[in-house]
Amino acid sequence: MADIKIESVTKRFGDFLAVDNVSLTIEDQEFMVLLGPSGCGKTTLLRAVAGLGMADEGRISIGGKDVTYLPPRQRGISMVFQSYAIFPHMKVYDNIAFGLKMNKVDKAETERRVRQAAELLHIENMLDRYPSKMSGGQRQRVAVARAIAMKSQVLLMDEPLSNLDALLRLEMRAELKRLLAEIQATTIYVTHDQIEALSMGDRIAVMRNGTILQCDHPTIVYDQPATEFVGGFIGNPPMNFLDAQVQRHNGSVDVAIGDFKLAPHALYQPVLKPYDGKPIVIGIRAENMETLSTPSDDAIKVRVLVVEPLGSQNLLTVKIGANTVKVSTHPSFAVAPDQDVWLRFPAEKIRWVDRDSGQMLYPAAV
Amino acid sequence: MKKRRNWAPYLLILPSVIYLAIFFAWPMARAMTLAVWDADAVLRLKAEASAESAGAGTLPRGTQVEILGQQGNIVAPEELTQRNLRTERWFRIEAERADGQPVSGWAQETRVRVREESESGEPLAGTIRRKLGSDADPLTDVFSEASVASAVAGRLEANTRVEIREQAMLELWYLVRGEADGTPAEGWAQSRYIQVYADDTTGRIDRGNAGELTNRYIQAMVNDRFFWPALWTTFLLMVLIIPVQFVLAMIMALIIQQQLRGNSFFLYVFAIALGVSDLAVGIVWYAIFTQYGYLNSILQGLGFIGAPIAYLTADTRYWIIIAIWLAEVWRATSIVMVVVVSGLQAIPNEVLEAADLFGAGLWKRIRFVILPMLKPSLQVALILRTILALQVFAVVIALSGGDIVTVLANEAYRQYYDLRNVNVAAAYAGLILLLSMVSAVIYLRLVRSNEEAQA
Repeated sequence: MADIKIESVTKRFGDFLAVDNVSLTIEDQEFMVLLGPSGCGKTTLLRAVAGLGMADEGRISIGGKDVTYLPPRQRGISMVFQSYAIFPHMKVYDNIAFGLKMNKVDKAETERRVRQAAELLHIENMLDRYPSKMSGGQRQRVAVARAIAMKSQVLLMDEPLSNLDALLRLEMRAELKRLLAEIQATTIYVTHDQIEALSMGDRIAVMRNGTILQCDHPTIVYDQPATEFVGGFIGNPPMNFLDAQVQRHNGSVDVAIGDFKLAPHALYQPVLKPYDGKPIVIGIRAENMETLSTPSDDAIKVRVLVVEPLGSQNLLTVKIGANTVKVSTHPSFAVAPDQDVWLRFPAEKIRWVDRDSGQMLYPAAV
Repeated sequence: MKKRRNWAPYLLILPSVIYLAIFFAWPMARAMTLAVWDADAVLRLKAEASAESAGAGTLPRGTQVEILGQQGNIVAPEELTQRNLRTERWFRIEAERADGQPVSGWAQETRVRVREESESGEPLAGTIRRKLGSDADPLTDVFSEASVASAVAGRLEANTRVEIREQAMLELWYLVRGEADGTPAEGWAQSRYIQVYADDTTGRIDRGNAGELTNRYIQAMVNDRFFWPALWTTFLLMVLIIPVQFVLAMIMALIIQQQLRGNSFFLYVFAIALGVSDLAVGIVWYAIFTQYGYLNSILQGLGFIGAPIAYLTADTRYWIIIAIWLAEVWRATSIVMVVVVSGLQAIPNEVLEAADLFGAGLWKRIRFVILPMLKPSLQVALILRTILALQVFAVVIALSGGDIVTVLANEAYRQYYDLRNVNVAAAYAGLILLLSMVSAVIYLRLVRSNEEAQA
């Protein structure tokens, strides 16, 4: 059992608050992704777990054991670094065996585990090469092999794919996911790439300014972001946000986008009631809007600014009031710039954002 | 398309190569030849009394020779140098004998008194000198050629007036015969190379006109009574100083690497010694160790010793060695430290963190990660330090006066300056150069990094 408990951890660099009173529990064998823009504190939090930068306040325990102030080598963890941090003066074999040698694992066992790790990463034929003679992707594999050869119950990864080119990253992503499922370690994976986070994590913790905004399963983080920032950070293209006005109408509320009136989903009625007569922000994803080429009563007329054919979809940029909105359409939908199209918003796909706090509004039951 | 060679870097390098060749390589090569080249060891004899003629064997300097004959050769005045001053001046003269017969030919300068000269100093006319001594022949010979060996063209009385038509410089050549190592040699040589004895029939080769390789300067160096002490002291100091310096430098560098408070202060304190001249360092340590110096004052003040101890005497050489050792360690450790610090800073932090994370404590990190990754820097520092240790000089002079304890550089200086023995001094310098190069090559081989070994 190696669950990781992070309790009220704070870390400062001078006056700068890098991690602000963060609490997070990672279950045994769970794959947790820390996602956020650069400077959000995700790497700092990971380093606090690793012991490479001790927390100023709070408590970190691994498998029930308090490790807050233990040096890294006593925490029973292994780690993959962003720059790989493999030892340039050692052959691949010695790099992978380094941790085992330091922990006095006997020779036969070391050999077995090094070969096993190398095979998992398909570098078994490079064991007596030096890292300087290897490509970035191969070095990355060495770094991962070195980490998994330890057979630690906790594996930390600090943006392991960020130094690889796009194609290699795609390939390693799938491979890492398979690998991590196989070795069954509790994993914390830091990244700023939301696609990596969505595709790999059991759960995603989205961070900003040293705090965790939302921590949940990828589909929920994508579909029901907790704040406007999360919605805007995750997804490609990011979630669209539209300014609107809430109005009372026959005992329920309507939402007006300019002249166009929108009926919210019944579930959201109680949530929106307090906003009667106030402005609100609508959040909707590009692929959740229906595009019509003919007028319809329940669709808003918009002017197309840009058409980007992306192969699997056509991405339209349209203007609604002062907001620029990205709409994803089927590639067969024929449209040219400066044409008018009509957009329909399915009520259950609309998310509501408090304009002042940026918090998303959800009914209690969801 | 053919790949074009980029010449710009070579052009940029060219001035430094030229500079190096003119001011370093050439003088050094010249200096080194002094150690093994005897510049006037042999005399090359000529088949005829002419510089252009074929060779006729060689005789080493100092060989006893028989003088078989001599000859004067006319040389152009502009070819005369300071080195061939043993020349004679001859005049071609025309005159009328007392009986009215015309006589023309050559006469030695010593037989003609010049009476008239042109504005440019050319002699125009003169008179025949009177010969001294009662039994002397009153007539003076005039020769058909500018040589006493040529036929006599006429004889003139003293005070006969002569017209001087021409003057010529004669260089004297001797036909000599000698024996070197059982092989006889006979031939002509210019008089400046021969010392003729009073009997005019024997002489010896005074100096040669050609050099030869010799090991006698090196032998002189090795046989010098200070040679072995100097060599052993130099090695002893190297062995004592260098390991201590490396350990200290590593510790200092690691302290600085910890990024403690006052980090740059430490760096400056450690590096101060770099700025002090080695002679000054020697004098400082002399002030500490001399009989009424700081060390004795402190020890006396604390009551550890009664009377002052004389450290720097011929009977207490070990104290001098210790003092030199302390001074050198104090002075030159920071050079190593600077190199090691720069090497440490080139190790990425994440690599050290990885080592820590995978179970390496401080000692294991140093042993398995830091030291191997520092290899190139340590190599540079080691070569630098060894070369500097071979050159240690001023500190030794200051602490020992240069004779109780001596080192190689000091011997080179002593041979050159005190004994005026340039060749032996060059031999010492060559030895130091050789040791430096050999040690550098050994280090480069021993401390070769793994990547290189594989390539």
